[in-house]
Amino acid sequence: MGHRVPRGLDGGATSQKRQKVVHEAPTSEEVHASRQLQQLLSFSQDPARARHGLQSFKLFLDQLLNQDSKDADRPRILRDYLQSTKPADNDENPVYLPDIMQTWSYGTQINNENIMSAVPVVLALLLKLLSQSLESVPFGLGICRTLLQKRQQELIARNLSADKGKSFIISPTLRMLTEAVIFDGGAIAKPLFRARASMLKSLARNMGLVHRGDEAEDTKRPSARTNAVLFFLSALKFLHPEAKKELLSQRDIVAALTRDVKQDPPYLVKELLEGLRAHVLLDDKLPREAKACLLNASTLTRLSALYQYRLDTPADDEPSIADIAHEFLMAACTSPGCGLLRQDSGFYPRELDPNVPVPTAVVDEWGLEVIVWMNKFRTETPVRNHALSNFLPNLRPWSSLKQSELMISIFKAAPELVAHYFLNNKSFTFEPKLSATWTGYAAFLFHTVTLPIPDHFCRGPNFPALPPPTSIVVDNILPPPLNPKALSRSLASKSNMISFFATRILVVALEKLDAALKMHRDPSHAHKTAWAEAARRLVDEFRQRCPGLTEMINAYRSVPEGDILHREAASRLLRLCYEVLPQHALMAKFDVSPFLETSLSRLSRQELEDPKDSALSVKELENLLSIAGYSPGMRWFAAPEGVSLSPFTRLLKVCVDAPHGVALGTIREVLNFVAVEEGLVPRVDAHPGLLALLEALQVLRQSYPDSITHVWPFLDNCLARYANSPVKYVEKFYAMKDEAAEPAVQGLTSADVSLATIAMLEQLPFAAAKEGNQHTLKALGRFLPSFLGYLAAAGESKSLLDLVFSKMVPYLPDSKKKVKAGGVPEGLEFQHNPWPSAKAIEAGKASSTEAPQEEGKSSPAIDAKALENMLHAPDGLEADNSALVRWSSKTVDELVDDGYLKSLIALLASEHASIRKEALVNIRKAAAKIKESEYEEKEQIWLLLMELAETAADNINDRPLPSPTSAFACHAIDVLRDPLSCLYPKVNMFLVRGPSWSPDKIHLVDDILEGDPMVPNTYYTQTNWLLGYLIDGLRTKHDLELFHKKRTMGPLLEHILVSATNPYMRWPLKLQVLRLLYRATCIEGGSTTLTTRFGIMSWLEATQAGCTDASEAAVYETLRKRIWETSDQDRVRAWSREGLNGPSW
Amino acid sequence: MAPPQKSDQQVAAEFTSYYLQRATKEFAEDLDKVRSADDFKNDALQIIVSALQQGTTMFSPEEQRRIVTAAARPANKA
Repeated sequence: MGHRVPRGLDGGATSQKRQKVVHEAPTSEEVHASRQLQQLLSFSQDPARARHGLQSFKLFLDQLLNQDSKDADRPRILRDYLQSTKPADNDENPVYLPDIMQTWSYGTQINNENIMSAVPVVLALLLKLLSQSLESVPFGLGICRTLLQKRQQELIARNLSADKGKSFIISPTLRMLTEAVIFDGGAIAKPLFRARASMLKSLARNMGLVHRGDEAEDTKRPSARTNAVLFFLSALKFLHPEAKKELLSQRDIVAALTRDVKQDPPYLVKELLEGLRAHVLLDDKLPREAKACLLNASTLTRLSALYQYRLDTPADDEPSIADIAHEFLMAACTSPGCGLLRQDSGFYPRELDPNVPVPTAVVDEWGLEVIVWMNKFRTETPVRNHALSNFLPNLRPWSSLKQSELMISIFKAAPELVAHYFLNNKSFTFEPKLSATWTGYAAFLFHTVTLPIPDHFCRGPNFPALPPPTSIVVDNILPPPLNPKALSRSLASKSNMISFFATRILVVALEKLDAALKMHRDPSHAHKTAWAEAARRLVDEFRQRCPGLTEMINAYRSVPEGDILHREAASRLLRLCYEVLPQHALMAKFDVSPFLETSLSRLSRQELEDPKDSALSVKELENLLSIAGYSPGMRWFAAPEGVSLSPFTRLLKVCVDAPHGVALGTIREVLNFVAVEEGLVPRVDAHPGLLALLEALQVLRQSYPDSITHVWPFLDNCLARYANSPVKYVEKFYAMKDEAAEPAVQGLTSADVSLATIAMLEQLPFAAAKEGNQHTLKALGRFLPSFLGYLAAAGESKSLLDLVFSKMVPYLPDSKKKVKAGGVPEGLEFQHNPWPSAKAIEAGKASSTEAPQEEGKSSPAIDAKALENMLHAPDGLEADNSALVRWSSKTVDELVDDGYLKSLIALLASEHASIRKEALVNIRKAAAKIKESEYEEKEQIWLLLMELAETAADNINDRPLPSPTSAFACHAIDVLRDPLSCLYPKVNMFLVRGPSWSPDKIHLVDDILEGDPMVPNTYYTQTNWLLGYLIDGLRTKHDLELFHKKRTMGPLLEHILVSATNPYMRWPLKLQVLRLLYRATCIEGGSTTLTTRFGIMSWLEATQAGCTDASEAAVYETLRKRIWETSDQDRVRAWSREGLNGPSW
Repeated sequence: MAPPQKSDQQVAAEFTSYYLQRATKEFAEDLDKVRSADDFKNDALQIIVSALQQGTTMFSPEEQRRIVTAAARPANKA
């Protein structure tokens, strides 16, 4: 290694160390005359003299610009000076201020930086001054044009590209250019831009010359960057669109513009944002591409850093920089006109054609599998809005309200970005943690879920032919961070707030799912099968991401008693599960009664002091009531253990004792619904239903508050007795009707008096006979006449009510014969309940007497498609050959609960003998596996499978197992795995009857329709199960033969039709019967068999005539039409001897 | 004379205030824990308030009116 060579003998003289530049302050003198000015500014090769002149001129201009100094001579001196230096008019290239220009040129030539700086300083000041007066504009323009001359351009370029440290040269030059470009309304902006090679020289670099130092930038001494940005903004303001486009395409300049924006002084940031907004975003003439050059992801990201800008201290009424930046970004990212936002197609990813022609037959046969892109977007989705998609990950919506608002607005404007964002940003999870960040993230996700679904999924005027990819729809309903694990942990969290937030998100998600499903079921779809399948997939995928109902129930259970807001949300979530996912909700076996009980008790005790709390509590009760309405096992009239009154009566009590101001409309509706369904009150539109009872109770409470407490037990007893055996009271009613010799029914069609009165009449003697019951009888003496009076006012038969009353009177305390003399009061008005007056009843009467004929004509017609939607049930025994292998890898729980066993059983009805045989072997294997397992109901399931195998073994080689037998086995599994099922005893008894079943019989029909229900109040539930399995069991011609085969109780279908004439059968159950008939019409020859063997046309006609609801009548009507159309019409004509002859449908 | 009916805006404002008051009461303990968490700074308070009150959107204007106006009647009765 060599020795270091000394730098020089004389040391300091040749030192390479940069010498400190010392700026000597120039001398100056005060200007008194234009001639003096001329002399001062005349060209001199002496730099000191030149600086002396320029500095004197600068001070002179400063004084002129200073508003405070009022020296009238100075403007004149300047004017004279300018006049004296004005070039000749005929000069081709006139040079204004030739001496100054020459000095500048000389200064540059000798590299005198002081002169290079001083000239632009005076020119900037001079232009600024000249722009203030109209008469001096020509001089100013002359100077500007002089600057555009080649020589001056070179000087400007040289100044602009001075070393980085020479801001004292760069800044004044930029100020001079700014003054030039804005002079006279931008008169020379265009030529100035044309000379951009010089004028914009090093602009990007100069934008990077930021203020250094700890203190904030002094507004009087702006940095080179500040001057450069101001020059750029001035140019933007006055340039025409083409030039602006060219300017914005200078990538280095655009990039430098915002690179250091975070450190800029507040006024500059404000000007920058306002300038860009006014002259780029909102400039309609500027082409979209030009705007896009500015609004790229990195610009947006840098501007978003202004959310954390801390250098400003805005006054109270002023917006902060963060506010202004937010407003800018909101406009830039969400307005289609601002160039950044591109129109997407909603839930359909880019480059996808949802209207690609696919033959309907192909879709119907293969389903969504034929659409290649349907499963393609699970991990990645292409988008049109690239810039926005790159920008979004830089935002932190969980820690800033404004950023959250911006992001949600972007999602709203470009729905395609929701799935894309969450698929590409997986680092942030929803793992529950009681922190501000988690709370912010939960709030952001809540907002995301509440975003509306784009119109027709694609933002277009109509639905596309094919549905959107299911994964994208689900990503929008439950974004991927909301995975089942995180949601379950949140629901089960010990922190109530975490559980509350998760509950709310699930509530809005279910509401959104409901909306999406409705859109999938829109009648206008071209490929209905595809949309229906997509809807099924949507539900399946949603369920995979959503915690199970059991977890939601547990979450509801663990909400503290007093947390009514939380309880309301949790109960609402459960209600939505029942409404949106009914099949799955009903499988969870949720017994709502205890919760209903708790809620009722709380309301009855009236322990909530704030009426608002009571009102909120009523919301929870309403949710529970809705769940109770959906639960088939709800026992409305049975009092739970340890409680004296049934839920129904307790609800009545809640309505009557309602805390002040609490609206109970929904509770009344539910009560009325139950009362009508149970037949307590007549099912007639003109009848006010349960309101008469409520009114009578409320009047009693008001007049005799003590009496009402004695009425409840009596009323509850009557209602419970009625509910247990309604038929008994129907018979009593008919007997009484005969006794009263009541003429033909007027007004009310299905009943003349509420059957509740008959029950009361029956129970009154027992109440009277009871010792120590005087208070009750006294109360009843007040209540019963008034109740009957309200029933009469509601339009019920007065003569029958009189008869009921006369039979009641002997048991009522009536020492002065006042009660007897009073009779049933007439003309009572409903005061507490918003039901109306006699006029409406009269109107009701009038319309209902004319009804039967009129209704038939005006009933709302439904078309064949609507009928299909309503009555077509999917094939429950559809063959899926893969079931043969899939079951073996599953656990026993999965086999039984997830339908693998059923798929296997369904294969016994396959057309191919080999499949059937294979299925039989597998069923036996599965039975053995189940028997060896720890499954709770293994014995019964094993027995069922072995008996089924035994039944099938004999004939399986020759023909498929009849569908009813397979369907029975499938449905029986559901019963056996639920020991609480009302059919559990019956199915078990059936299984122990023998080792095999008769394959050509349809099982359990008579046991259900005719036998003892074994579990009280479950006749209809059992019938519903039976119809479900019969619908699945009716698939072929051979199956239909079994339905009309002779039996001791008459052909099966006949038996079903007779049961369906039961006036108390509810519409959903009747619909099941109609579904069975519809299924028969889908089988070849089915409609003809229905008509000729069962007289189905007359049955439908008669049932339709008995309908009080026009929409129900329309269903019967359309079904008749379908049967006619699908039958062998010639044969039917001949059979009916032309009685059925293509009616006038 | 019946009191004048509240405008939708009034109802929404009153309901939001009630909802927040209810939520802060029910989750007081948890809110204290959030306040003492490390990340409780800058906008955190605003975010939590906004997060709590966003649940008001789950109630329709009619439901909000029902709950808010439930308060008015006892005063009349008394």
